[in-house]
Amino acid sequence: MSGLGGLSVRFRQSGFSVKIPSFLGPSLPYLLFAGAIALVGLWVENFYYLQVLTFIGINTLVALGLNMLMGYAGQISLGHAAFFGIGAYSTAILTVHYGFSPWIGLAGAISIAGLVALVVGLPTLKLSGYYLGMGTLGFGMIVHILFREWTSMTGGASGFVGIPPLSVGNYTFYSPTAYFSLVWGTVLIGVIICRRIIDSRIGRALRSVHDSEAAARAMGIDTHMLKLQVFVLSALFASVAGFLYAHFVTFISPGTFDFLTSVRMVTMVVIGGMASIWGALLGAALLTLLPDWLHTFSEFEMVVYGLILMVVMILLPQGLTRGILDLWEKSKGEDIDIKGESDGDSFR
Amino acid sequence: MAILSVESLSKSFGGVQALQDVTFCVETGHICGLIGPNGAGKTTLFNLITGFYAPDSGAVHYRGRTLQGLPSHRIVGLGITRTFQNVELFSSMSVLGNVMVGRHVRTRCGFFRAILKTRGARAEEAETRNAALELIRFAGLKGDPEAPAADLPFGWQRLLEIARALASEPSLLLLDEPAAGLNAVETAALGDLITKIRDRGVTVLLVEHDMSLTMRVSDRVVVLDQGRLLAQGAPREIQSDPEVMAAYLGRPKEAGNA
Amino acid sequence: MEFLQYLFSGITSGAIYAVIAVGFSMLYSATDLINFAHGEFVMLGALCLVTMKAIGMPLPIAFLNAVLIVGLIGLIFERLAIRPVKRPQPIVLVIITVGASIFFRGMAMILWGKDTYSVPPFSDHPPIIISGAALLPQSLWILFIVLAVVACLYLFYQKTLTGKAMQACAISKKAAWLMGIPAKWMVSLSFLLSAAMGAVAGVIIAPITMCSYDMGTMLGLKGFCAAMLGGLGSLWGALLGGFLLGILEAMGVGFFSSSIKDAIAFLLLLFILYVRPGGIIGAVQAKRF
Repeated sequence: MSGLGGLSVRFRQSGFSVKIPSFLGPSLPYLLFAGAIALVGLWVENFYYLQVLTFIGINTLVALGLNMLMGYAGQISLGHAAFFGIGAYSTAILTVHYGFSPWIGLAGAISIAGLVALVVGLPTLKLSGYYLGMGTLGFGMIVHILFREWTSMTGGASGFVGIPPLSVGNYTFYSPTAYFSLVWGTVLIGVIICRRIIDSRIGRALRSVHDSEAAARAMGIDTHMLKLQVFVLSALFASVAGFLYAHFVTFISPGTFDFLTSVRMVTMVVIGGMASIWGALLGAALLTLLPDWLHTFSEFEMVVYGLILMVVMILLPQGLTRGILDLWEKSKGEDIDIKGESDGDSFR
Repeated sequence: MAILSVESLSKSFGGVQALQDVTFCVETGHICGLIGPNGAGKTTLFNLITGFYAPDSGAVHYRGRTLQGLPSHRIVGLGITRTFQNVELFSSMSVLGNVMVGRHVRTRCGFFRAILKTRGARAEEAETRNAALELIRFAGLKGDPEAPAADLPFGWQRLLEIARALASEPSLLLLDEPAAGLNAVETAALGDLITKIRDRGVTVLLVEHDMSLTMRVSDRVVVLDQGRLLAQGAPREIQSDPEVMAAYLGRPKEAGNA
Repeated sequence: MEFLQYLFSGITSGAIYAVIAVGFSMLYSATDLINFAHGEFVMLGALCLVTMKAIGMPLPIAFLNAVLIVGLIGLIFERLAIRPVKRPQPIVLVIITVGASIFFRGMAMILWGKDTYSVPPFSDHPPIIISGAALLPQSLWILFIVLAVVACLYLFYQKTLTGKAMQACAISKKAAWLMGIPAKWMVSLSFLLSAAMGAVAGVIIAPITMCSYDMGTMLGLKGFCAAMLGGLGSLWGALLGGFLLGILEAMGVGFFSSSIKDAIAFLLLLFILYVRPGGIIGAVQAKRF
């Protein structure tokens, strides 16, 4: 629907509009985004900063997928750390225990996470609201316990060491810059995938389920199937992120994939602003950086972290991006923002 | 020929018998009015036809095939679409977006084709958009189709819901009290729209409390009372039917007591 | 006999899960809120008791003080963190209560450090031997206190005007408000009672576990499982769910392996959600408190 005869960026208040050549229009944000990644990759040489930026990218991938599930389809998941973990452990086990190439590991991560999401989602997504939250929470806990207790495969509570780095042919992604580019390139692809789904028939159907499930069914949408599909999609995003995480840090342990991680992922989506792609990015960035900033509080770290979560949610329940980044969404010619105000029951 | 036949349909909720042994037919190409006092079971009947509830007994046949056990989304695919008594729009979407969702069962683009943005997907999207714009005009909605649906005045929200339902290309359209909350002018326009819908070849089953509207547009009227079929026939017959008068106004003797 | 031994330990932990589940469930029925910080109230109750005992208070006074303090914390928590939320969407409340649980845990870490504490049992009788299985006196204390607390709660709901008003609020806040029931005060009261319930669980569990700032999370989550198992919002459901979970967990650990201990609660949770989302009691009769 965009790109027909040029993109018109409309500014709501001023009524001011800019015409951008149609061949550039739809892809402009992505070109800018790719440019920004390239610039940062070339410019930043500090190992620590690159590492943090890479973590932000990995978390953004998870948040993008979860945003499709929560922001667009309106279904909560309190167990997404499990899919992140399945991605990480699958590739770890396949590469270390069975000696496969990491790319087989990726295929394994994706297919196992997808399959698990399908099997778990089938009964779970019949639930709604808190019950769905509890169901996904239970699933997440079980997977976490599995990582911890299946010692022969996962290394148990002490963790899994020696995951090989990624390589293509003779080239190995050793340098932080290379890995940064790989992760953010994946994020860019993720953003494009999400954007295309949102702007399609499927995206409309997702939002219709969020707005009124009864009306969505009355329009012939198989809501259960659709929820299941988007649940699997979000699990795939999380598992790819887990794959990238495992080969980046080369050491994983169950603590990374616990209930609090699931909540942190949900928080990324909500704080960034639901149903906004750039919000997922912002939320992921903030929640990745927050623990670092909080180190200055030393023993008050947890207290401050808890306080920030509470205060932000009390004051800004619709997240931070509304307003600023809506402009880009608006430029796509359709009103994307989900009305956070009116749907108090969106998760019930 | 009957497009829809309802055969001895019954449904109870707990102890309340919402529908009891209701049988009637809707002729192809007709506007069939379905009237009855509050609690007569009209909305329950809608929910049974569209697969939102399962009947306790009885069956619904559509074009000779049973709808039993079909989930509601399949029933829409077969060509039966409904609207809601309390307008149920997709409030986060634009007017156009709402109607485009209505095209869901007539379009096929899935996750993969959306991600790959294939030529077919793009063509389908453009087609969906054009069909939706045409229906917005047909329903008499003016103004910016990109405006948020929630911002429309109430009367237009009703029209939008009808346009959205039409987008699924139904053969049978079920309207649940479309005139509720409309003023006289809007109701008259709605009557014209319903007639125009029939002239497009869509059979209409109309639940409505507004008697003058029902009697004006309906080819045939079915009357429910307390879950039972009370009468059916041409509007003129129904208007003079003593049973119907009694159901609405009370019997002359009882009226004195009440 | 092994079975009997497992049963005793199951009933003991079951009683604790039950009282956690009751606190969590009563709050849900009054406010439609799932409080992810509930487990931290258990932890606070236990650590408060540790401190009270350390400064030389007699046990009953320490018990009461701990419960009162935690109840007050619950009250303040509602005032400061829940009431200001203008549109209480579940997702927002989930994040707020999880934030609160991190906050409470952080506070406890500052106040009590990362050490673990232990408290002597309520009475120093020797274990009672019943056909080869040892029953700790503390288990009897736990069972007795839990049953007493639940009985009090039941009487409160059934016999007092305030209790009935709370039930009315749980059914319909608006209707209760129209009848002149101060719904806001009822919400505060349910937070107070719920937090106090959590503290009771903490106090009675203190002598049989290691008390530390991070003991609450898992207990809280298992309490949720118990409440769901029995039927969310039902008093008897919470009790039943708690005991069932405790016993099944003890049997699972005893007859299979201790590594699956924590998984049992969540497997049961998923099972009940799939088979009977209303819980064991909830599906039979959706009776609230």
